Amino acid sequence: MAPLVQIENLRKEFANVRALDGVSFVVQAGEWIAIMGPSGSGKTTLINILGGLDTPTSGRAIVDGTDVARLDENGLARFRAEKIGFVFQQFHLVPYLTALENVMLAQYFHSTTDEGEAREALGRVGLTDRVEHLPGQLSGGEQQRVAVARALINHPKLILADEPTGNLDEANEGIVLKLLRELHAEGHTILMVTHAASIGQLADRRIDLAHGRLVTEHAARKV
Amino acid sequence: MFPRLLWKLLRSNRGRLAVALVAVISGATVISALLNVQFDISRKLTQEFQMLGPNLVIAPPGRMQTQNAGAASAPLMDEATVAGQIARTRTPALISAAPYLYIVARVADTPVVVAGTQLGEAEILNPTWKQETGFPRYLPATRARPLDACIVGRNVARQLKLAPGGPLELKYLNRTAAMTVWSILDSGGAEDNQIFADLTVVQTLAGMKGQIQVEQLRVNGTSSAISAYAASLSKSLPGYDVRPVRAVSEAEGNLLNRTRLLILSMILLILVLTALCVLATMAALAMERRADVGLMKALGGTISRIVGLFLAEVGVLGAVGGLIGCVAGLALAQWMGRQVFGTPITPRWEIFPLTIAMMVVVSMAGALPLRTLGKIKPAVILRGE
Repeated sequence: MAPLVQIENLRKEFANVRALDGVSFVVQAGEWIAIMGPSGSGKTTLINILGGLDTPTSGRAIVDGTDVARLDENGLARFRAEKIGFVFQQFHLVPYLTALENVMLAQYFHSTTDEGEAREALGRVGLTDRVEHLPGQLSGGEQQRVAVARALINHPKLILADEPTGNLDEANEGIVLKLLRELHAEGHTILMVTHAASIGQLADRRIDLAHGRLVTEHAARKV
Repeated sequence: MFPRLLWKLLRSNRGRLAVALVAVISGATVISALLNVQFDISRKLTQEFQMLGPNLVIAPPGRMQTQNAGAASAPLMDEATVAGQIARTRTPALISAAPYLYIVARVADTPVVVAGTQLGEAEILNPTWKQETGFPRYLPATRARPLDACIVGRNVARQLKLAPGGPLELKYLNRTAAMTVWSILDSGGAEDNQIFADLTVVQTLAGMKGQIQVEQLRVNGTSSAISAYAASLSKSLPGYDVRPVRAVSEAEGNLLNRTRLLILSMILLILVLTALCVLATMAALAMERRADVGLMKALGGTISRIVGLFLAEVGVLGAVGGLIGCVAGLALAQWMGRQVFGTPITPRWEIFPLTIAMMVVVSMAGALPLRTLGKIKPAVILRGE
């Protein structure tokens, strides 16, 4: 079976800085990968390229058969809408839209909106009674759960989570990680950037980056 | 979802959008008022121009004079023929037409120019005439003007010591006509030296039944419209000269054109100023929305869909501002009409869609800074840069 993600000799340069320097690896469908490494090692750049938010300088990044580097602006937008679900460290919710509307916004850019389905998604992350709240009225953990519901709403092939618990306290971190574990158990493919080794151990596999290069790639110790 | 998003966008930036809305309302108010004036100016100025007197003259060939054509020995026209052709070619623009037959009669051995005409038509042709009638002392106001009534010029009245209600005897050759002074005329012109009497009375006195020397007309419209009417009348009266009084009709046309040009220039200027106001607001708004746009792009929004959302917001701004401005503009136009012309401007409802469309277009033009949102890289925004 062809891998869901196939990265070949991926390079990315910003001015004179080489963020990624010949990274190659594959991800099978249903895998949970933790991408780890120190600051500036290229983790977020790698996630951004895989999510079609950025383009590589050279190399290939193939997601579900689509070479992201070959897509134009509109093609990238379609790719992001149909195949990727993002969860960011800073949550990135639209401040003037309610939790429900933030989830429906992803539906709107994907195809058509379905309020019932959006409510269900929020219910699944435990926010049934918070759907009409604005992000400013939600705690950090609740905001991140809205972001997870938004990432799931279009049934993406790949969930990209960039430090999803980086801004959360221990209790909320636990809630979000539980959600990710459930998603993984359901067969979702997750690529997660994290600094925390304890969180990285939850993944099937760990990929360590340093100075834009893949240093080690090994199965994580399950906890 | 689109209307929901649009409503949220409008609500979330209501402070900044209120500034742009005030600019659009102000622009729409002035433009709507000016357009109302522009559409009504022709009618208003035409009313003003009527004060200038006749602007078209029919005369026998080679005898083009507007009034006081001189003695009855001058070339003559058949009254019925001229009146018939005027009736045949009559247009709503024709305000009045008065035939004239001038003779030099004697009043108490003093020679006086007597103009035979249809007095009512002559009064419409010359709205600046001021008459001292002497009502209700001499004649009841309800009484129709009798055939023997005559209007006496101020200078003639002073010289011959005539007053309203008094008798007057006109002599021409061996004929006489007993008249009554209906009013004393103060025109400030040559008419103050004349006596105006009913045409048939003067024709009988002069022995020229059915004859006139000149026909004066007042036709509303632009210089070219008056010339066109003159040409059509000339075709119907091939034996006569039909000519516009150039000095009057061209002055009217020029004034009308210049006024319209002035109004259109002002409208253009206001449109530009409104666009600049919207532009300044939108430039600030575009900066504030970079994060939203970056996120929307990350969620799979195409730039056309995202900018379309913002353009719809600007379109609503233009439409609402235009609508409110139109209503305010109507009130402003009424005020301007009263101040400038002494009467309110007639509202033109077609100005509503026209002004609203202009405001929407201007607001869209002012939303040019939103184009920069298309260049936003979501990765850069999500990094917090």
